[in-house]
Amino acid sequence: MESVSWAVAAPAVGAAFLASLVEVVEAFTIVLAVGTLRGWRPAVSGTLAALGILGLLVVALGPVLDRVPIHLLQLMIGTLLLLFGMGWLRKAILRSAGVIPLHDEEATFVAETAILTRADGRKGRSLDWIAGLAAFKAVLLEGLEVVFIVIAVGAGRGLLWSAAAGALAACVAVLAVGAVVHRPLSQVPENTLKFGVGVMLSAFGVFWTGEGLGVDWPGQDLALVVFAAIFLTIGLMTAAFLRRPVREASR
Amino acid sequence: MTLLGDVARELLGMFLADARLTGATLALVALVAGLVLRLGVQPLIGGGVLLIGCLAILTEAAVREARRRRRND
Repeated sequence: MESVSWAVAAPAVGAAFLASLVEVVEAFTIVLAVGTLRGWRPAVSGTLAALGILGLLVVALGPVLDRVPIHLLQLMIGTLLLLFGMGWLRKAILRSAGVIPLHDEEATFVAETAILTRADGRKGRSLDWIAGLAAFKAVLLEGLEVVFIVIAVGAGRGLLWSAAAGALAACVAVLAVGAVVHRPLSQVPENTLKFGVGVMLSAFGVFWTGEGLGVDWPGQDLALVVFAAIFLTIGLMTAAFLRRPVREASR
Repeated sequence: MTLLGDVARELLGMFLADARLTGATLALVALVAGLVLRLGVQPLIGGGVLLIGCLAILTEAAVREARRRRRND
């Protein structure tokens, strides 16, 4: 296996950890609503089923990616990372500028609780199914993004397991804090995390796409850190520009 | 079927949240690939075009969306 410098390993593991933190917090809110209203059995069953499918996805895709020539893999994953990372960064900029509202975990918890309460007229067993399915769906949908990020930042340089460990650490951290506070984790600075992850994924996107096209970046892996700094600066400047009053901004 | 539909929507949404950003990014990657692989432009120059192009696309997408939302408010 090719040796990997900290300049690639640290952002890969960090991106997987932070992205997972955001997604796990969102999934945790729904699972908590299910557990609080219908008990922990359907909540845990739904969560475990979804985690099983996500795990299978990583195990199945890992070996397939190993067979793709490295330059083609870097080009493909780099392009997907650009689309995904710049999408996250664009949304984080708009949230940071106050153009779109911040994600509200308390509101999500209330909405999910209301949905499950409305279904309360049904028989107990069928309601357990609905509750379990809600937990399953939340973990599966939020987890898909985590799986993509783990594969994308990990596959290019044999960092799949390191990135997966970063994601797992985030799951453990959220579950540990969640078990203690037993309420939606609304204090997590979600948009700041999304901003950071968007910056890292976009930097990885440029780096991998360039390498896939045969670019020999000056400073090798350190270029990744420089790209992240540039994306962060431009992202913050754009958010600051958009935060100004409309008349001033359009002048 | 709703679940499969939601999964499909989630996957599409991951990469196609903003159609113009997606189109412009794919066009940029194709342009840089063409410059480097077909026209023999130095890869590092292609890399520079890719980086600057991405920053321009990102900024334009954020500013465009902010203006659109403020116009509709």
